[in-house]
Amino acid sequence: MKHLEEAELVEHYYEESANMGESERHLKACPVCAKRYAELCRDLDGVATTTPPARREDYVDEIWQSIHASLPVYEKPKSNWMRFYRPLGWAAACVLLVAVAFVAGRRWERKQAPSVAVAVDPQARQRVVIVVLGDHLDRSERLLVQLNHADGNDLPALPLRSEARELLASNRLVRQSAMQAGDLNVEGSLDRLERLLMELANEPDKLTEADLNRLRQEMNTDGLLFDIRVLRSRVHSPGLELQSAPTATKGVPI
Amino acid sequence: MRWMEESDDSIRRAILSGDKEAYKVLMARYTQVVFRVAYRITGNEADAEEAVQEVFLRGYQALGSFQGRSSLATWFYRIAANCALEVVGKRRPEAQSRIAEENDPEQSEVQLADIKAGPDRLLLSREIEARQQAAMSELTPTERTAFVLRHMEDRTTEEIAAALNIAPNAAKQAVFRAVQKLRRELAPLWVNT
Repeated sequence: MKHLEEAELVEHYYEESANMGESERHLKACPVCAKRYAELCRDLDGVATTTPPARREDYVDEIWQSIHASLPVYEKPKSNWMRFYRPLGWAAACVLLVAVAFVAGRRWERKQAPSVAVAVDPQARQRVVIVVLGDHLDRSERLLVQLNHADGNDLPALPLRSEARELLASNRLVRQSAMQAGDLNVEGSLDRLERLLMELANEPDKLTEADLNRLRQEMNTDGLLFDIRVLRSRVHSPGLELQSAPTATKGVPI
Repeated sequence: MRWMEESDDSIRRAILSGDKEAYKVLMARYTQVVFRVAYRITGNEADAEEAVQEVFLRGYQALGSFQGRSSLATWFYRIAANCALEVVGKRRPEAQSRIAEENDPEQSEVQLADIKAGPDRLLLSREIEARQQAAMSELTPTERTAFVLRHMEDRTTEEIAAALNIAPNAAKQAVFRAVQKLRRELAPLWVNT
């Protein structure tokens, strides 16, 4: 049997043992520990609890008088309020900062909004397409007019090939746009124009009158010029809706 | 007095707001307890009174830093224990010599023998008290305070730990060491009685 340590006996005496029941049972069962515990009780019980002498009735007043002069008066709420409000002040500053940033953000957003709207608004987008298409058709028309009326003397001075190369790139974009919009007539005309531009762009440096005549016949540049003019007139007419009403152009002879 | 019904915390806030007189109410509430603890630690009335005065002076000055993690009673306990121990520390050489004189080992046996045979129980009581005082003076300040709070004030280990600002286990050990030392010092009494 394992005997209780002295520390355990002291804990038991002051009723602070973690296992009071267990130590109690052990003390009943173990005469050695019971004897040691009885001696401990005798010793500690013998330590008299000192009873202090009674105080005079005015004892508190006496102490108060003796220390009163040494006690400073605490300053009133200033420090307390400051302590209370300082964190609030910081919090308010943070909130203000966030609010200013939010308002500034909103204003900036509003300033940016028109350009975004142009990009997003279908009607605005259509207007942009019409402007680009109109410009492209104008340039194409001028090129065709020069091509139809050029003679052998004018050819060296005319920048037909370089103009054709520039128009070729934009024509592809416009034609693809018309194709996506389902405007088959426009797309057909631009397709014919693209073939002519390609031929013209790939002609040799020194274009002869014979080459021009061949192109005019093969590509029917007169007919193509007519188509382009019809298209241009439609583009410049008010109320035109290329994408929103693609069927409106269907069946129209261009 | 208008603060008599108020809680400790209300009074504390009043004092910190500039009502110095309110502190007297706290003093009235805790003077008895503080004096009792101081007396039990110092062992005499004059030292205890000096300690009490110091307790309330320090208590007032430190009231602003009171965090409220323990009760004001425990807080005053802690200050009382510290002040009493300081007073004991100041008086200690004198007290030791006095106790040593009264409890001379050679004389004690004779005295005890006389006491046993003598008719006056008061003498025995005084001898025990003197022995106890001597034994208490052998304890370290922490052990002495821990023992007084445990044995005489019936405080729990947690309360002692809070008063001494030490861990509960350290408080328990302090009590145990105090008990061991006291038993060793008081053992001759039981041998001769």
